Amino acid sequence: MCFKNLPVEFDSAGKPFLRAGVGDPYATATATAPEGPRQLTADKIEDLLKRNGHIKSMDFDPVTRVAGALAFHTVADFDKRKILEARSVATLFRGYEVIMVGRDPRDAIFITSRACGVCGGVHSTCSALATEMAIGCCPPPQGVLVRNLALALEFLYDHPLHLHLLAGPDYSQVIVEPTNPSLYERAKTSEARHTGIHGYRTIAELMTDLNPLTGKLYVEALHMTRVAREAYVLICGKYPHPQTIVPGGMSSTINLTVMNEMFVRLGQFFDYSKKLALIWDDLTEFFYEANPEYKKVGARRANLIDTGIFDHPDAYDATYESADDWGNRRWATPGAIVDGKLVTTDLKKINMGLEEFVEHSYYEEWTGDGQKMHFPTDPSGNPLSPYHPWNKVTRPRPQGQNWKEKYTWDTTPRWDRQGMEAGCYARLWNTAVARKMPESPFMESTGHSLKMRVPAGALPETDLEWHVPDVWNAFERNRGRAYCMAFTTLIAFEQWRAIMERLKDGDTKTATKFEIPKRGTQQGVGFWGAGRGYLTHHLTLDRGAVANYQIVTPSTWNASPTDRWGQPGPYEEAVMNTPLLEETGDATKFRGLDVLRAIRSFDPCMPCTTHIQSEGGLITREVNTCACGLDE
Amino acid sequence: MRVLAGGIGYPDLCDYSIGIEVQEKLSEREAPPGVVVEDLSYNPIAIIQRLNDEAPDSLFERVVVVSAVKRGDRPSGAVSCYRWDGGMPSDEEVQRAVTDAVTGIIAMDNTLVIARYFKALPEEVVVVEVEPETHEFGAALSAEVSTAFPNICDTVWRCATDDAFVGQLPSGALALTVVPLIRFG
Repeated sequence: MCFKNLPVEFDSAGKPFLRAGVGDPYATATATAPEGPRQLTADKIEDLLKRNGHIKSMDFDPVTRVAGALAFHTVADFDKRKILEARSVATLFRGYEVIMVGRDPRDAIFITSRACGVCGGVHSTCSALATEMAIGCCPPPQGVLVRNLALALEFLYDHPLHLHLLAGPDYSQVIVEPTNPSLYERAKTSEARHTGIHGYRTIAELMTDLNPLTGKLYVEALHMTRVAREAYVLICGKYPHPQTIVPGGMSSTINLTVMNEMFVRLGQFFDYSKKLALIWDDLTEFFYEANPEYKKVGARRANLIDTGIFDHPDAYDATYESADDWGNRRWATPGAIVDGKLVTTDLKKINMGLEEFVEHSYYEEWTGDGQKMHFPTDPSGNPLSPYHPWNKVTRPRPQGQNWKEKYTWDTTPRWDRQGMEAGCYARLWNTAVARKMPESPFMESTGHSLKMRVPAGALPETDLEWHVPDVWNAFERNRGRAYCMAFTTLIAFEQWRAIMERLKDGDTKTATKFEIPKRGTQQGVGFWGAGRGYLTHHLTLDRGAVANYQIVTPSTWNASPTDRWGQPGPYEEAVMNTPLLEETGDATKFRGLDVLRAIRSFDPCMPCTTHIQSEGGLITREVNTCACGLDE
Repeated sequence: MRVLAGGIGYPDLCDYSIGIEVQEKLSEREAPPGVVVEDLSYNPIAIIQRLNDEAPDSLFERVVVVSAVKRGDRPSGAVSCYRWDGGMPSDEEVQRAVTDAVTGIIAMDNTLVIARYFKALPEEVVVVEVEPETHEFGAALSAEVSTAFPNICDTVWRCATDDAFVGQLPSGALALTVVPLIRFG
């Protein structure tokens, strides 16, 4: 049974039902969250700050080297070098859900793409998937494959960008040497284990090339984003907001010329992905050996969620009814991992367990007061919470910041009432342990690891193996992301091979015609993934127009605030567990490096809109609730 | 002389789209040899890569950019034109600009700072700033910017084609913002 907290049980045939005799099954007290970390109360923190000079607030506003607007408030005990309070603040409003209401669903592909300046295509695709499901339209196999390939290419842009432009500098010489001089001294004499692949003799050499702006790895990452972009536009026309993604497939023209040009670019990632995986292996092991306390940086329970991605062309039928079947045949397996154990790979159960709360967010509640619950069940008759996105109404309510009440524009998604984390590593983990991925000469899911055989480039064919880690922390997130480069490259290569096979048979059909129904109500959900992990778009159509549109992104999960039970969100939990390891005795000289490592390891992506839609239909003003004056 | 004249902005953002509007209008004119009018409203890193693709023996010798820049100390629709003094922010700020660039922010100051840092720009960079009034979704320019539109187009055109005019322009600095990183309480 995958739910421990929601009052949902399963009959002998596996059909879920609400536990009998429960009057208000989704009430806070009925379905309680499990034991786990809790924030101290705001009163307690205030008291500690007043009574102890060594306890101070340390605020990051904005958190730099992340995508978009994120602020972070902490209270730290500089004697014990620990964090007492952590609050994640999304400082800008994302209004796409409001903007979408009343529009033609086809607009959603282009409008929701603008939710992100990095991964617009994943939103376009997720939107197309939701529409496909709602209107009953399935793409042809070649359309599924081309779509997969496009998304893989987007990740090949995304992962190096994070690893070597955003997170990488935290491990570079210019950062490590002044903050942890003894560690850097050790790095000078620590030999790297995989010199033969990445070329670095010592860890210090590697750290030097991670230096921002000037380091070779930084500059190389900038170049590789170009290679991925060039490949992407061959089939999507534009980056980051593609023009060829449609419900029912892709409007791209696919031929041998395009695919050959594609391979010229894709092939460059064979060697690059080997290098990345082993650079982050070496870096991680160096830090662990130098000081095991680094295993606590960004540590939290291994609660991860992902919807899977990369459909099998013979399995995907765009229906909710068979989502479990086609979901389990995806190249990246869907799944929910709780305390390190995979509890389900069923997309419908992942969907059923999803709720979104707003206790600490700048939104009004939408349940209660006689509010009608639109969908007590999903299209298969499985119970849904009133807090489920299909039942949610987005009601923004800007107001002052208060840790006891509301302090962020992010909502609080929970699965089975637990704080879950999204990331590309979640898809790696699910796929590794589920043993459900399609057969491949290049990848093997072993139940505890994922084996990858990366073809030769200038470097020889190389076997990589990502292992489910013993601890879950900032280093493992980065290492996982680095291995995801190889995973994604191989998936892209598999799609390329399959497209070529179909082209040989003359199959160039990439889309199915569709019509938007003008009558009735339809539901759809896009189960997809961004470079940063989990992505869903929940859509309700009414007489051909969007009646409700709800987006849950990876950073909606990760940046979420403390919930109604006092459970911190993932960033918050990870920071609360982070020791302050900088080698300075002066609290004012702290750079908050380990806190920032913890946050950045999630690859935060907050860019959204800064605009609100007024009743008149125009976007009218900026809203920016910053973290200034937190302590007042 | 090879000159690249480009607009920078987001589409459908009223006055903040002025860079794109001007670039589109100027694209209708017949440019003299060596003058290229282009939309530069995309990832600044990609712009660097595009500039670096030019043949070494025929690099652009002048870049002219036009964009909305809110300074707040001049009337809406005001046009400021200057030769960029090349002043650069700290490396920390350049990093922030790169982060913004690769995560989807399109802004003139970021574009110039990053392109200068990575040595993709010629020595001569001319900036045409337009003080915006409206910052909303939509295609319409405000009355003030709309009135100034022909003048903005002519100014950019002169910057691209009239060496003597450019020679008389003052030198000026970009309107850069600096953000704090950490605050203790």
